[in-house]
Amino acid sequence: METFGRIIRLGLKNFWRNNWLTLGATLLMTLTLTMVSVSLLVTFVIKDTATLIREKINLTIFFRIDKVPDQKIIALGEKIKTLDGVASVNFTDKTAALAIFHRLPNVNDNIKKQIGTENNYLPRSLEVGSSDVDNLPNLALQIGAIDKGKLICSDCISYKQNKEIVDQLIRGTRALQQIGWMLSLFFGIIAIFNVSNIVRLTVAARSDEIEIMRFVGASNAFIRGPFVVEGIAYGLLGTVLTLLALPALVMAISALGVGGEIGQAFTVLGVDIKGYVLNHLPILLATQLGLGLGLGVIVSLVSIRRYLRA
Amino acid sequence: MQEILTVGSPKLTRPAVESKVKVPLIEMKSLTKKYGNRVAVGEVTLVIYEGEFVCLVGQSGAGKTTLVKLLTKQESPSTGHLFVAGRELAELRDSEVPYYRRKIGVVFQDFKLLPQKTVFENVAFALEVCGVSATEIKRRVEKVLDLVNLTRRRANYPAELSGGERQRTAIARALVHSPKLLIADEPTGNLDPVSTWEIVELLYRINQKGTTVILATHNRQAVDQIQRRVILMKSGKIISDQKSGKYVI
Repeated sequence: METFGRIIRLGLKNFWRNNWLTLGATLLMTLTLTMVSVSLLVTFVIKDTATLIREKINLTIFFRIDKVPDQKIIALGEKIKTLDGVASVNFTDKTAALAIFHRLPNVNDNIKKQIGTENNYLPRSLEVGSSDVDNLPNLALQIGAIDKGKLICSDCISYKQNKEIVDQLIRGTRALQQIGWMLSLFFGIIAIFNVSNIVRLTVAARSDEIEIMRFVGASNAFIRGPFVVEGIAYGLLGTVLTLLALPALVMAISALGVGGEIGQAFTVLGVDIKGYVLNHLPILLATQLGLGLGLGVIVSLVSIRRYLRA
Repeated sequence: MQEILTVGSPKLTRPAVESKVKVPLIEMKSLTKKYGNRVAVGEVTLVIYEGEFVCLVGQSGAGKTTLVKLLTKQESPSTGHLFVAGRELAELRDSEVPYYRRKIGVVFQDFKLLPQKTVFENVAFALEVCGVSATEIKRRVEKVLDLVNLTRRRANYPAELSGGERQRTAIARALVHSPKLLIADEPTGNLDPVSTWEIVELLYRINQKGTTVILATHNRQAVDQIQRRVILMKSGKIISDQKSGKYVI
């Protein structure tokens, strides 16, 4: 226990004493963790935005023949609900369709006036939400199969009409997500090189001390110990500084562009970037701590290895 | 006690009765160390007994330092055998090396002191790394600082000491484990004649207390004044081995 205490004291003393190297290593660690955190945040934003877009891609079935009673359509909706991959089924009757139509912003008022309660030509519809947007083509086929009463006309499933747009969106969001992960990986690799170089420098600067420790009979574990403590200190301090730097960086990103266009772009996509950081704080903190401590310890251990050969 | 040393130098005395039973501490059998094709130590066969004071002499490149490195397990022999206290060093596992080094003390020409530690802390460091308790460290360090006459310098940093004092600190650190064997590799190389004499005298006193001392040096005056066993090396080989000799090339 006394030896353990000595190792910790020695590590902290070295951390404090080698001020320039410590400052360099800590700043690099902070930069690294910030880069990884930002790329992780961007990845999350892309992923969630993609999910949001994908969730909005529904399959809508229109019923143009007014003679078909609502009950039959609702019954069909109940059947559709039982299909695999169906998340929700919402029935829109003629009154609701009219209300939606009147709320549409880019429809001419003259046209709006021509369609009212008396002369409501708008079709009823079933909006089918799918848990897996990739499954929409298959779902459309299944719905066609269970429609025994042939209530659905051949071109009345809107998914078929918008297939190309949907496919493009799916491809686009997937590509964005992959770019996000690649960015995280790229910054992660740069991070490892950065931190590893500066820790190597701190170890090399103390090669004499290591040599003396070996001559006086210090075990390899004792020699490694203070360097591991230093690695942990870099990781911890780097995490704290990153946590302080991240909100400032997010605010700066939000304010970028003329009148904060980037921030507005996120808002349009339904992402409040500040709230987003707060909501993802636990996972960010865990990532920073894990990466900071892991990097600090592993890089220290690897850097000191060549000095420990008997 | 028999007076053995010369006018103009502090007096050293040799114990009148040398140890009766000679116990080998170091045994070298056809010990060879090669670096590539260059033979640094070649076919050395030698026995050093407990309690001996051995001067290992020779010019630069004679193989003295390589022999010291083999003894401190910094290097492994290319061929041959090296036993210390009955244990063949080649058989030591890496994890056993620190424990072996705690049983020997090593002193270098460049002192190898930690500049940011005081005299006391430098000496204590050797015990700290071995997990000795704080109370025991205090007791042992004070005792050894008294032996090397550095008690009043205990709070000074190496930069505040003279060459001789730095070397005495290094000797104190080497002795604090109470080793059976003290190896001094050119300990007087950076010192003026007075400091050189202080160090040689100190090593002599340490030897008188029972510690085997190997002094690797090319300081002729120091060797001649001690008049103890002198092993002369040249091109990695032992040229002469005098029981109580002088440095003669």
